[in-house]
Amino acid sequence: MADEEEDPTFEEENEEIGGGVEGGQGKRKRLFSKELRCMMYGFGDDQNPYTESVDILEDLVIEFITEMTHKAMSIGRQGRVQVEDIVFLIRKDPRKFARVKDLLTMNEELKRARKAFDEANYGS
Amino acid sequence: MDNACESPTDKGGETGESNETPAAPLGSGTTSTDGIPEETDGDGDGDLKETPVEEGELKSQDISDLTAIEREDSSLLTPAAKKLKIDTKEKKEKKQKVDEDEIQKMQILVSSFSEEQLNRYEMYRRSAFPKAAIKRLIQSITGTSVSQNVVIAMSGISKVFVGEVVEEALDVCEKWGETPPLQPKHMREAVRRLKSKGQIPNSKHKKIIFF
Repeated sequence: MADEEEDPTFEEENEEIGGGVEGGQGKRKRLFSKELRCMMYGFGDDQNPYTESVDILEDLVIEFITEMTHKAMSIGRQGRVQVEDIVFLIRKDPRKFARVKDLLTMNEELKRARKAFDEANYGS
Repeated sequence: MDNACESPTDKGGETGESNETPAAPLGSGTTSTDGIPEETDGDGDGDLKETPVEEGELKSQDISDLTAIEREDSSLLTPAAKKLKIDTKEKKEKKQKVDEDEIQKMQILVSSFSEEQLNRYEMYRRSAFPKAAIKRLIQSITGTSVSQNVVIAMSGISKVFVGEVVEEALDVCEKWGETPPLQPKHMREAVRRLKSKGQIPNSKHKKIIFF
């Protein structure tokens, strides 16, 4: 147990400098450490997830985003990433597809609400 | 903690299309989301009440058609068009009803959470990837700028992706008779399983179809 308590802090120092010892990405700085910890807790992990697990997840997420971006660049309008391409790539995965649809619909509603709110303010 | 009165979980993928409720990750960061959900709450309800009225007004011309249908006087509309119209109208009403039911059920559920469950639920709703970092990452890959919607979509999908991996890892952990926190071996086994299901995109492996 003492080892586990020492190792995470040791690795955190390494991460601040830039790259854990076993960090798959090597020298890249950790982009999502804080947010990923909250996310893992929200999805069912312990309140303090292991740093190594967070690192693995971050690498996975970055690889996922990279793959999706590359695929999106190769379909539809070449060289650009557009929302329609993402929706097309996701079409087979029901969860992600529903989530994207929800998010975009919600964004539209929020934009409309803000616009109406601003116009109301401007009018009065 | 007004988030408690909001949407069903995203894990129920079947009902995904009928959700009309705000999602916390849309707010920029975790500090300013309190105002936004309340705003949309009023608007969301307002929308729900407005659309039936709008539909009623729009269909005032078709009211005569509908009454004609009731009288079984089918001379005004083709049968297929009639059926479509009634079907979509019923579906929309059903969807709104399902929404309201689900919202109520979620409220009852969340109100009976223990403190630890409430904490976890709050983290689940509020955690999100920082939009700036995601935008920087995508732009570093494409070399061109991307629109805001792309960043929103990509962050949302990534969060669902994290959820899938963590859930699978928790399954693995439980199956191996161990307890959280999750260890790297659970994560790697989870990734291996998801890969065989095809949930993890991998364009590096060249698939040979015929051999």
